[in-house]
Amino acid sequence: MDSYSTKHVKSRTLFQETWRRLVKNKGAMIGMGFLIFLILAALLSPFIFNYETDVIGQNMSDRLMGPCATHWFGTDEYGRDLFARVIYGARYSLAIGVGSVTIGLVVGTVLGSLAGFYGGPVDSLIMRAIDIFYSIPNILTAVVIVSLLGTSTVNLMIALAFSCASSFSRIVRASVMTIRDQEYVESSYAMGLPTWKIIAKHILPNCLSPIIVQITLLIGSTIISASSLSFLGIGVPAPAPEWGALLSAGRGHIRDASYMCVIPGLAIMFTVLALNLLGDGLRDALDPKMKK
Amino acid sequence: MIKYIAKRLVMLIPVILVTSFLIYWAMSLTGGDPALMIAGDNAKPEQIEQIREELGLNDPFLVQYLNYMKGMLTGDMGKSYVTNKDVFKTFMERLPNTLMLGGAAVLIAVIVSLPLGIYTAIHQNTWKDTAGMIFALFGTSMPNFWLGLMLILIFSLYLGLLPTGGKTGPTSIILPAVTVGFGLAALITRTTRSSMLDVLRQDYMTTARAKGCSEKQVIFRHGLKNALIPIITAIGLQMSLVITGSVLAETVFSWPGIGRLVYDSITKRDTPMVTGSIIMCSILMCIINLVVDLIYAFFDPRIKAQYSKKG
Amino acid sequence: MKTLIAGFCPVTGRTGKEMEEKNMKKKMVLALAAVMLVTSLAGCGGGSSSSGSGSSGSSSGGSSEAAASAGESTEATGAKETLIIGTDADINNLDLQKQQDAANNVILKNTHQTLVFFNNGSAGDDRFVPGLATDWEFSDDTHITMHLRDDVYFNDGEQTPMTAEDVKFTLDMAMENVVASALAGYVSCNVVDDHTVEIEIESYSNEFVQSLASVPLSIQSKKAYDDGVEDPYYIGTGPYKFDEWIDGEYCRLVKVEDYWGNDLPEDDNFAAGPAKIIEFRPYIEASSRVMALQTGEIDVCINPPINELQYLEDDDNIEVYEQTGTRLFYFAFNVSKDPWDNQTLRQAVACAIDRDAVLEAAVYGKGTLQTTILNRGLWGFYDDMEGFDYDLDRAKSLMAEAGYPDGGISTTLSYASGTPYEQIATVIQANLADIGIEVTLEPMETATLKSACVDGTQELFLWRWNEDSKVDFVYRDLFYTGSGSNYHHYADSKADEMIDIVATEKDQDVRLQTAQELQEYLVDACPQVPLYIANLVIAYNKNLRGQYFYGGGNHNWSHAYIAE
Repeated sequence: MDSYSTKHVKSRTLFQETWRRLVKNKGAMIGMGFLIFLILAALLSPFIFNYETDVIGQNMSDRLMGPCATHWFGTDEYGRDLFARVIYGARYSLAIGVGSVTIGLVVGTVLGSLAGFYGGPVDSLIMRAIDIFYSIPNILTAVVIVSLLGTSTVNLMIALAFSCASSFSRIVRASVMTIRDQEYVESSYAMGLPTWKIIAKHILPNCLSPIIVQITLLIGSTIISASSLSFLGIGVPAPAPEWGALLSAGRGHIRDASYMCVIPGLAIMFTVLALNLLGDGLRDALDPKMKK
Repeated sequence: MIKYIAKRLVMLIPVILVTSFLIYWAMSLTGGDPALMIAGDNAKPEQIEQIREELGLNDPFLVQYLNYMKGMLTGDMGKSYVTNKDVFKTFMERLPNTLMLGGAAVLIAVIVSLPLGIYTAIHQNTWKDTAGMIFALFGTSMPNFWLGLMLILIFSLYLGLLPTGGKTGPTSIILPAVTVGFGLAALITRTTRSSMLDVLRQDYMTTARAKGCSEKQVIFRHGLKNALIPIITAIGLQMSLVITGSVLAETVFSWPGIGRLVYDSITKRDTPMVTGSIIMCSILMCIINLVVDLIYAFFDPRIKAQYSKKG
Repeated sequence: MKTLIAGFCPVTGRTGKEMEEKNMKKKMVLALAAVMLVTSLAGCGGGSSSSGSGSSGSSSGGSSEAAASAGESTEATGAKETLIIGTDADINNLDLQKQQDAANNVILKNTHQTLVFFNNGSAGDDRFVPGLATDWEFSDDTHITMHLRDDVYFNDGEQTPMTAEDVKFTLDMAMENVVASALAGYVSCNVVDDHTVEIEIESYSNEFVQSLASVPLSIQSKKAYDDGVEDPYYIGTGPYKFDEWIDGEYCRLVKVEDYWGNDLPEDDNFAAGPAKIIEFRPYIEASSRVMALQTGEIDVCINPPINELQYLEDDDNIEVYEQTGTRLFYFAFNVSKDPWDNQTLRQAVACAIDRDAVLEAAVYGKGTLQTTILNRGLWGFYDDMEGFDYDLDRAKSLMAEAGYPDGGISTTLSYASGTPYEQIATVIQANLADIGIEVTLEPMETATLKSACVDGTQELFLWRWNEDSKVDFVYRDLFYTGSGSNYHHYADSKADEMIDIVATEKDQDVRLQTAQELQEYLVDACPQVPLYIANLVIAYNKNLRGQYFYGGGNHNWSHAYIAE
């Protein structure tokens, strides 16, 4: 985004304009604040906790202790401190969210721009394929893919990336189609620029705003999908403290140790809420119609 | 118009072909032998071999798929590997439950979202707007099964008001519908809000006000009616997602719907059931999308004109 | 007899201890017991269901013989019309011979009946008693003559009598179906007269007759199949008949009005219960099932999660019952894979597993640790071998002996996702890290796990085996060279030889001796590390009467009802 804005004087002001409007949005600011805190926690957690002893080290004598002074969030069924696990879990949950969205973004952008730029049979082929994936709910697609590849964090990301890819390709295709006939694109053609360069240089930057919005929203829904897969028992393998896995472990204790279920649930909820607020704020801020 | 509908339905055929192929293929790759699941723990290898032979599992994948499609052409979706029941019949048994849950959930979502979306749009950029949107976003920000468990805990257990799950009576649909519906509310609220914002900026709104219409009339007669199309799209989209997308809510509430049927069938490697159900879902989604498109025409004469031009 | 009396609770639902304080009651109990004894001596249909009701709070029976009681209410109390049982698994197929699933069998037990009746042991050691067959004897090593009851008819509305032809038809059909494995060794069935059959088997087997007690081999109506009735397998001879099954919602059975056994004494195994309707409803989510019991939506909660028992125990309307079960959970090696073909290494791993922690994490201690590989309660169960207790020093020295003084092994542990495997795996992962074995956990769906185990691609795995009647189904299926469910891929001709002796030796002393040796041999060979036997825990409305529990979970509900 930065390298792009330094090259184009006009877009620097667009960036600043967007930022100015975003700051005015209280919801987006709350969301952003929370996300910054979370990213810091994720980055710093290895320095705060020892993974081997604090996060996955078992201590059966301390099992299922409610929240108290030594264990702020209580302990789980193996006596592991839930506070350490939730904080450490941010690394996994965010990584899965960001990872799958990135894979989805790359694949979706390539497919979407090919479809949008060439149109015709290429377009119909790609879009029909995407329609089909879209018509099967992403949870079920993911279940099939995970059973196909086996359970691991990377496979989980790939499985979840599928649904991201289809939604990115739709956005990119739509933007590319409106932009490809603009005069400045035609003139680059005339100047003899290769197709991929035209797409990368002139077309993609112009669909950035819907993509950015979509990224924020999809990270959120991917975190939820990952936790759903954990709930169904095919998420990140133990003992990694991914939030969905924590929730799934807590689900059996919803009555006798409800904190085990409530706390990771809240962590997911606030994170996704923050992403949604930021995404909505960005959408409003980037919407040219909103200029006053 | 009829031609248009026919054309849309014909477009389904390639979708069905590709979907069924992909699913059949994926299921054959997943490893996990359905014969082992059917035979049970004590089965001898010969029994398993016999079951494989009976189900045609020893044939090459393409032969299996073509046999399946041969059946499809004659309207036979095959029998479940596990229950030996007719796939189509089982699907149709579950369908009313799913439609009921989906319908109730969408209804709840609309009841919450429409007023909230309009309200936040009118009060754009105030704390009312922020609070309203945060409320709507809570629904999508929670894992749906978690909300379900919390609702069971509060309403069934502590308050003893509603049943915990299963399809036991008219009240048993309330909790699952709220769980699913609250999850849908955010998108519909968001769409309502932005669509209303678009409309509120239009010149005809100012005109309406200038004409002396009351604010209520301006918002509902002139505003909402023009803002409805994107809202209907959003609702239609959600409706089709609800059909197979409520696996988790159905699991938590033991609700015998299609989502759980498909999920269970995947875990049991019941290929005919999975393929058949997903094909039926694609058809269903296509029909819902078609109905949504037709509703547009009803609300927007411009689109109607387009159809007749095409048709 | 002592256990029997302890299990006896009069209609008032008092515990054994309270009863002793009350002479009146005591007399009544003794009287009932005497009646029981007489009936069983008279051999009247086996007479294994003891009378009495309910059970004491949580009488953790020492053995599966301390079983729950069944029976009838002697008071003139009414019965609620419907009995609703909340189950933990959906049924999937009620075509008897095309399935082997416990979830289906529990339902089929009410609608169909077997030649040999397998009781839960509450009436003593003789667990295989006459059912639809009144007696049987080996005429030589390979021929069994069996006499049938002559008063039985099918619940097809026409009172079609059950004859030897139906028995022959059922058994012959079984050989064509999934269930053939339960009838291994069967050759043919000759109809001698209307109520006598002669069954021919390949070779003498100690347990062939016991096979006939298996629910999928219940007698079906030949006429129904010949007449082309739709779903002929629904027609049986039981006191209930199938009414409706809505996949995922409920399976409903209704009482057969003209049931052949209506005049049987109330304590007969085949006596009909007072409930008009029995409904089985799946509540897959365990918490929902517990809550449904508390709110009264269901009368019985199968497998309540242990960590939620406290809520049920606090509830005055609910009884929580517990006894030793038969389900053995174990940790196992694929011995055909390097390095797990190394016996000493396997033993080192066995010593490194803290089974107390496993038991605590998996079922909150509600189970029994065991050393042997056989399911508790089965014939010849022997658990006094030394085995491999948790001992880190011993584990480390065995590691060194096996050639891995510093560990340095990386491996994967495969298991079916969900409780309790998740918990067991997590503890074992941490345990094995202590002896330098790095374990990657690989939860998978059961279907995938089974395929991997059959193909032998797994390394370490968790599995369970639930067998409550035939020992051969443990030894042969799990350990015999080349057996389909020998997921260990264990092959040892000495073990095979002993397994064959246990199956066919007629001298019961030699047989028992061999069974013990075999268990010691297998424990030492260590293809698996037996972890624990999970307790049978079940919770129900305190007015439940006539229940008849089996440690393995195949309960008999055909006499059960809710007293009002």
